[in-house]
Amino acid sequence: MDYKSTLSVCPYCGCGCSFYLETIDGKLVGTKPSATSPVNNGKLCVKGWKVHEFVQSPRRLTNPLLRKNGELVEVSWDEALDYVADKLKKIKAEHGPDSIAFLASAKITNEDNYVLQKFARAGVGTNNVDHCARL
Amino acid sequence: MKQKIIERAKALLSSGEIGGFLALKQEGVHIAPHLFTDPAELDMLSLGDGQGLGDARYPLVKLLYTLAERFPQEKFGVMVRGCDERALNQLLKEDRACPMTAGRVIPVGFSCPEELAKACECAKPWPDAMVAGEKMEGFPPPESDMADLMAELQQWFGEADRCLKCLGCKNSCPVCVCHECTLEEEAMLPQRQLPPTPNFLFTRAVHMVDRCVYCGLCEAACPAGIPLKKLYRLVAQLVGQGIPLVGAAPRPQPQPAAQL
Amino acid sequence: MAGLAAAFGSGAMTNSIEELAGADTIFVIGSNTTAAHPLVADRLYRAKKNGATIIVADPRKIQLALTADLYVSQALGSDAALINGIAHIIIKEGWQNQQFIDDNTEGYEDFKALVEGYTPERTTELTGVSKQDLYFIAEKYAKAPAGSIVYCMGITQHTSGVDNVKSLANLAMLTGQIGRESTGVNPLRGQNNVQGACDMGGLPDVYPGYQKVDVPDNQAKFAKAWNAELSPKAGLKIPDMLTGLNDGSVKVLFVVGENPMMSDPDQHHVELALKKAELLVVQDIFDHQTAQLAHVVLPGASYAEKDGTFSNTERRVQRLHKAVEPVGDSKADWEITQEISNRFGYPMNYASPAEIMDEIAQVTPQYGGINYERLEGEGLLWPCPNQDHPGTKFLHAGGKFARGKGLFHAIEWRAPAEVVDEEYPLWLTTGRAHVHYHTGTMTRNSPSLHALMPEGFAEINPVEADRLGVSEGEMLQLTTRRGTIQAKAMITERVRPGMVFVPFHFMEACANVLTNPALDPVCKIPEFKVCAVKLDKAA
Ligand code: SF4
Ligand code: SF4
Ligand code: SF4
Ligand code: SF4
Ligand code: SF4
Repeated sequence: MDYKSTLSVCPYCGCGCSFYLETIDGKLVGTKPSATSPVNNGKLCVKGWKVHEFVQSPRRLTNPLLRKNGELVEVSWDEALDYVADKLKKIKAEHGPDSIAFLASAKITNEDNYVLQKFARAGVGTNNVDHCARL
Repeated sequence: MKQKIIERAKALLSSGEIGGFLALKQEGVHIAPHLFTDPAELDMLSLGDGQGLGDARYPLVKLLYTLAERFPQEKFGVMVRGCDERALNQLLKEDRACPMTAGRVIPVGFSCPEELAKACECAKPWPDAMVAGEKMEGFPPPESDMADLMAELQQWFGEADRCLKCLGCKNSCPVCVCHECTLEEEAMLPQRQLPPTPNFLFTRAVHMVDRCVYCGLCEAACPAGIPLKKLYRLVAQLVGQGIPLVGAAPRPQPQPAAQL
Repeated sequence: MAGLAAAFGSGAMTNSIEELAGADTIFVIGSNTTAAHPLVADRLYRAKKNGATIIVADPRKIQLALTADLYVSQALGSDAALINGIAHIIIKEGWQNQQFIDDNTEGYEDFKALVEGYTPERTTELTGVSKQDLYFIAEKYAKAPAGSIVYCMGITQHTSGVDNVKSLANLAMLTGQIGRESTGVNPLRGQNNVQGACDMGGLPDVYPGYQKVDVPDNQAKFAKAWNAELSPKAGLKIPDMLTGLNDGSVKVLFVVGENPMMSDPDQHHVELALKKAELLVVQDIFDHQTAQLAHVVLPGASYAEKDGTFSNTERRVQRLHKAVEPVGDSKADWEITQEISNRFGYPMNYASPAEIMDEIAQVTPQYGGINYERLEGEGLLWPCPNQDHPGTKFLHAGGKFARGKGLFHAIEWRAPAEVVDEEYPLWLTTGRAHVHYHTGTMTRNSPSLHALMPEGFAEINPVEADRLGVSEGEMLQLTTRRGTIQAKAMITERVRPGMVFVPFHFMEACANVLTNPALDPVCKIPEFKVCAVKLDKAA
């Protein structure tokens, strides 16, 4: 019998409501708005109340995919990561770092974004980093 | 007050009488529902007073419904205030399949302070299963007379304009446990945009007649600041006097099944 | 973002969300707050309850209009004219805060000269807002003890987006409505971590913390911190990346957590560009149209499956905690990037997001005092420069702007890039529906949200419905110079005659097939909010 509530932050709009993700035996079963959050004081919008639903959706991507003979096929992490790293090295050598561009995201964490732009700038050597939501 | 609850819960857990004690846990500034299974953890128990009295309550009874259903062999303790206990009793009364039967669930109750009872307009701010606190007079609001009722009803048609259709009122209500909620059905959403028609609010109000325990959790969850308890009292009074609410959709049959 | 930064020196929301409840006048423009930012709407409702005056300006009669003290429906794309017209009245009536202007700003005289031209008569002609309403807005806003402006994409998603924002900044400086509790200019960020993505340097011209890449000192600092040689020149913005793909100068696009096929205007153009990539990598939690074109697809972990932080629209950095294990073989984005970087030859070895945050704090002045331990409470609002700093509720306190003096910009109103004509006689605008979010990848995979709103629609006025002979729920065909979609008609007074509204969440009725990719010259936000359309009953 394992019921847990874990404090999280909404991945939808910029309000940044926080809530408890409720799990029973490792499965997400519900969302409860945090009554002690200064942002939302125990309230959520319709999207927030259902925010646990898509996480364990059967439609999630679960394996790395690599295009072979025109088709995306499941491969191991090693194969996918090696492919990407080798290809990046080769293209950088042939066309220079500015032939490589990155899209960071308003949907991933600060830490994810930081590491991505650091790789672009310090690893690849380009400032070609942007993201899709430019409010 | 809190110490008495903790002691009782510790005794229940240590003796093996229950497998888990459902209450609230405080970590730093945050207060959240928690299923205590280890007596040592109970020192982190919270009664649900955050910055203000009773402002960090959660629908524990509703959560217990799910847990009792998911773990049919277990016995539970649950921390209750007066209104939580009323919700528990209401569900037991109306739902023969309710898994929170007396043999399986032990409520551990405490009374609310007078200040909170006044703010809640609470008729009975203490539970029968009280291990801490004391009985006191309630502060139920007076009934409106007929002319006032009709005037108030008119006002209500304007309140719906603010509703965001978040369904927070239903989601945090301890007695809203229907599997397929009328409010989420196509018929309730003829216009897919905001605001909803007043029937959206009135339908829920009709479903609360004789069932609402006036805990106020719906209002606490309403981002539109709609005084919902007042609406539910009003509609209960109207229905009690035989005045039907045209357009409000009925509750679904068959009756409740758990959901969070 | 660019607009506010140019005026004040910072592009972020000047106040915290909660402060809005304490404002005396709130001017909401181009924000469908109840649908797009419900918990901000909560504060607007509370402000109203506390006696505040709420003014709503939006071409569509959005829900908030029903609670507002005044609602005006300005013509699509006329925002700058409206704001200049309000400023004109404020100056003419002497309601400006001269002390504030003299002490804290520059560029006032040019601005004053420009708004001379926006007489109430001319403003009414350009915007459709009556003289009486213009006076009401001007007086209520200028004279409020605490006046706040709230805006969103309705203001920015235009070719004149940056100008619109600068105009709002002008209004705040003119009246001194900035730099105090509940008083300021508040852009509502559309997506949960836009603020964070910008803060972290997810932009081509700045390192984390808005430190320009072309400033040698900054370069030296980061070269040292990151132990690498850094490029001295600013990178490409998205539209230029796409152009680069098209002309062959860009070979690789590495996309994390985005679906540019749907979120960018003019889908066909995007598709052509993406297909030219020698390597297209997509890292995301769901399959989508962009992933289908990719050479490599990498499964990321969702917010519930990892530790980390988001920075919300009020600059509050908050912790998310891992609640469940990642599905399948998916991994946190930072882990994937780290592994690629190691294989690429630039070593990284972060053991946890907490360690990454410690590095962020070292190189990002605004985050200097932030670490995971401190975030366990209610989060921290940046700037938070050191360990003892409590965080900052509102910016520019006492009129001390981040850039020194606040800068007025004299902004002429410009017509939208595309206007209605005989062939395309109606105005098309896009926006959000309350149930869904962005391109719908998450909400449409949420069964109960999908059930609440399974398909897209097009809002038209009853007048238009009569003219076409369509009834509620019948299929419409919408055609612009760029493409055609079909959508069910929703007949409503929310839109005026001559106007059509389409939500942008639905792939099969994708509004961005129709919208105009013309860009704001400075910040390259596309003109999603207005273009010309032709309406037919679908065959
Ligand atoms: S719950 Fe709703 S209002 Fe809150 S952050 Fe999520 S989408 Fe925004
Ligand atoms: S409704 Fe009554 S029992 Fe419930 S919290 Fe208020 S005072 Fe206490
Ligand atoms: S007050 Fe609200 S939440 Fe409580 S029982 Fe009544 S309807 Fe449900
Ligand atoms: S149908 Fe009525 S009683 Fe049942 S959950 Fe929905 S609102 Fe509550
Ligand atoms: S909680 Fe309030 S806003 Fe949400 S659906 Fe209920 S009445 Fe409407």
